[in-house]
Amino acid sequence: MIEIDEIKKLANILMFEMNEEELKTTQKEFGTILKQMELISNIKGIDKVEPMSFPFELEEVELNEDEVDNVITTEEALLNSKNNIASQVVVPKVVE
Amino acid sequence: MTIEETKKNIEKNIDVVSESIKLAKEKQDEYNSFVTIIESYEKNKTESNISGIPYALKDNVSTKNILTTASSNILKDYIPVYNATVYEKLKNSGAVLIGKTVMDELAMGGTGTTGHTGTVYNPLDSSRLVGGSSSGSASAVALGIVPFSIGTDTGDSVRKPASYVGIVGYKPTYGLISRYGIIPYSSSLDHVGILANNVKDIATVLNVVAGHDPQDMTSLKNINKNYLDNLDNDISKKKLFYIKEIVDIDISNEETKEIINNFYKTLNKIKENGIEIEEVSIDKKLLSAIYPSYITISCAESTSNNANLNGLSYGLNSNKKTYQEMIIDSRTKGFSELIKRRFILGSYVLRKENQDKLFLNACRIRRMLVDKMNELFKQYDALILPTTATVAPLENSIADKLSDEYLLLDSHLIIGNFGGYPSITIPNGKVLNMPIGLSITGRIKEDDVVLNIANIIEKSDENV
Repeated sequence: MIEIDEIKKLANILMFEMNEEELKTTQKEFGTILKQMELISNIKGIDKVEPMSFPFELEEVELNEDEVDNVITTEEALLNSKNNIASQVVVPKVVE
Repeated sequence: MTIEETKKNIEKNIDVVSESIKLAKEKQDEYNSFVTIIESYEKNKTESNISGIPYALKDNVSTKNILTTASSNILKDYIPVYNATVYEKLKNSGAVLIGKTVMDELAMGGTGTTGHTGTVYNPLDSSRLVGGSSSGSASAVALGIVPFSIGTDTGDSVRKPASYVGIVGYKPTYGLISRYGIIPYSSSLDHVGILANNVKDIATVLNVVAGHDPQDMTSLKNINKNYLDNLDNDISKKKLFYIKEIVDIDISNEETKEIINNFYKTLNKIKENGIEIEEVSIDKKLLSAIYPSYITISCAESTSNNANLNGLSYGLNSNKKTYQEMIIDSRTKGFSELIKRRFILGSYVLRKENQDKLFLNACRIRRMLVDKMNELFKQYDALILPTTATVAPLENSIADKLSDEYLLLDSHLIIGNFGGYPSITIPNGKVLNMPIGLSITGRIKEDDVVLNIANIIEKSDENV
């Protein structure tokens, strides 16, 4: 069981708000998932398994050379910002 | 309509693109397949197997200067400044994009009800849903608007909706189709997939969109196959298996019973063609862990992937006084409840105190299952199972969770994403007068084998 306050704390970290109904549904859903995950920790031999974070080993992974590629214009970079001045995205003043 | 039929119409000088756009508009109010219908297009004279063919992209595929929302309020006005590789390749082959399709918000969820522009309805029965998350991509093909479409598949998001509308849905080996420019959900599980009317059309499109992309560091190298070449190969020497614990179940739901009976009939039919099929047993505890492990891994990865959606430099802008308030306001209004719940779960399982018991245990289950599958793939060429446990659900009966009774049958498609295996669903009869599917999953990098097996089974079905 997860407490409502804990969910609120997580929502705060994630930077969104949840109403009372959303908090309750989340709490209920957590109950189910945590119960299922509890069963998982009882699976024999699980503690000896290396966690898998990728479907399979990639034979070779290369990082791209540090070369200028796919350049977008300043106008394009600002296309989706509704408020910009002098090629900068405008955000509220942070220093009073 | 298939690609071949569309090409014949082109030869007859029929303007197939205009027809496609017209049909998309006619069907939009009733079925809601599209976020955007693209009416202005440039004719490309490139000669290829799909030149001049209209198609649709799921709305999480970046398209330069064309609205790309991922069906989320937070991106409702977002216009990308670059193209996803898959779009670039289709464009260069001369295929014509006619629309961006509705999906479950940010590709999470499997109902087709959570997109910011509303629910997608099933072309075969509009009181039923299409499933998701590639909902509009499935309905656009089933409605005959386009002969093929592009979707993405993180757990079953191409294959399940394809099965619900009676078409073919395929997700390749992880890394075979570039993900550059796809709005990510869960990076270790996300795949780009194809939806079409038959296996041959899937192979035709795969030939265009597969291939190494230096822009995607998970993109596979040195796989240069023509996927049309081996479609008709003899498969009588192939060995298939199915998992006992998934289909040999005591169930009260008549619909699921019928789906399982239909599956056994299909097995017999395939065996009559000389193909060996064996029943294999896997620890039920391990299989039962698939769904919770998937939710844990995908939520954890999505929480991190979507942290950039803050409403400042792009997305839903807000007029609050501080930038923190702006982000909170944008994210509160921009995400639906389902997305918030998934982010909360993702954040919870990644917390230091929970990480080992929850997130890492889910990753351990993933390895145990994939190890087991790889062991089986040493003996067998493919895994065969019913695609889903039910037919497309009625709109008012849906909840985005699974019944305990058929949890395994409705979550086994995730195996394909855990191990990056190529996996396809083909139509396989009807229950309640709605289509059901047959799922075929094979070894990594053997997409040609999976397509070959699917093509032969599809053809033998047509001959019955």
